[in-house]
Amino acid sequence: MAEGVSFDDLVARYYAPLYQFAFSLTRDESEACDLTQQTFCVWAAKGHQLRDATKVKTWLFTTLHREFLGSRRRQSRFPHVELESATADLPVIAPAGVNRLDATQLRDAMTHLDEIYRAPIALFYLQDYSYNEIAEILGVPLGTVKSRLTRGLSRLYQLLADQPKS
Amino acid sequence: MNRDEAKSILLLYRSSADAADPQMAEALALAKQDPELARWLEHYAAGQEQVRSQFRAIQPPPALKEQIISEHAARSKAKTRRDRVVSLAAIAAIIVAFVFMGHFWSNQPKYETVSNSLENYQVRMVSIANAGYAMDFTSGDLAQIQSYLSQQKAPADYALPGPLQKATATGCAVQDWDGKKVSMICFATGKPLPVGQPGDLWLFVADRSSIQQATTASTPQFRQVGTIITATWSQGDKVYFLGTAGDESTIRQYL
Repeated sequence: MAEGVSFDDLVARYYAPLYQFAFSLTRDESEACDLTQQTFCVWAAKGHQLRDATKVKTWLFTTLHREFLGSRRRQSRFPHVELESATADLPVIAPAGVNRLDATQLRDAMTHLDEIYRAPIALFYLQDYSYNEIAEILGVPLGTVKSRLTRGLSRLYQLLADQPKS
Repeated sequence: MNRDEAKSILLLYRSSADAADPQMAEALALAKQDPELARWLEHYAAGQEQVRSQFRAIQPPPALKEQIISEHAARSKAKTRRDRVVSLAAIAAIIVAFVFMGHFWSNQPKYETVSNSLENYQVRMVSIANAGYAMDFTSGDLAQIQSYLSQQKAPADYALPGPLQKATATGCAVQDWDGKKVSMICFATGKPLPVGQPGDLWLFVADRSSIQQATTASTPQFRQVGTIITATWSQGDKVYFLGTAGDESTIRQYL
């Protein structure tokens, strides 16, 4: 495992970006807190199995995403949809851009964004992960990540553009 | 690549690091040549920056970090306590197992652990008689047999019971028991002998010192070893062991 990194140091370093990712997925503060905490619980139990210390951050994000998917399955609110069949129906529209944006607008847009696009978009903006790293965290092929990002970003900007100006 | 295709690709453009992708590089090159595409990209990049800053403005609740750390500490403490209880229980179980095993072994009959005990000697001699053996000296003359055994430095100063002296001798052999010589005197009872068997009544004579916990009783002790009835007794410094197929009454007629 990442020798020499104490649990407290790890939490101090990563709890905020993990929370941001969790909140981007759930749009719910309490659920995001639970997911972040659960991620560190899993680390406490299984983190010693990780040999490559440089992978700690990726490991934490991967774990949080898995926990999120697991919680969704348990709640049966997230019916399994095959990606390719879902994305095939979405048109790719190049957005015109965003003039002014506040947190509420982004939150509303993310709420209306299909769930499968939220995780790659959040990782795309929050952490500047490479596409390969996003693919590793989400456990999907690189092509799928690019496809989801292209369609997700297109949809996000469309939602932002459609919102009434504040 | 046309303008719309370039826009689709440039949706994923974040920084110069992404420009290493060949498709991205081609789309960027097109943006340099196409003023309308260049304006779109500039506008889009500005929007990207706003979205990114809003994502990064998400703030965790102030107490989240302390909550995670304190709950982890509480769980670790509970786990340590649980581990300690489990360890103590395991140690207690091992101690109980050792005590039980010690008690079990200490109550085992001693002869089990003595390899040259009388019981082992009896079993070994019966197995020699049953398994088929070669006689070293064939003779019906007990005096000659005794003389032969004496020459072989096997126990020879034995005294046969009266009835056995009248039995038909067939010869003798010298057997080994724990590195010591044992005289085996063979007799025929008169019943048909199994093929290859030179006798069906055997007397083994050994020095008492060669058998641990050997009997000192001069009266015969009977024991059934498989199909063979045996009688064991002691006289002088010798242990006598007589065996034949049958029951106690069969062997008694030779004592």
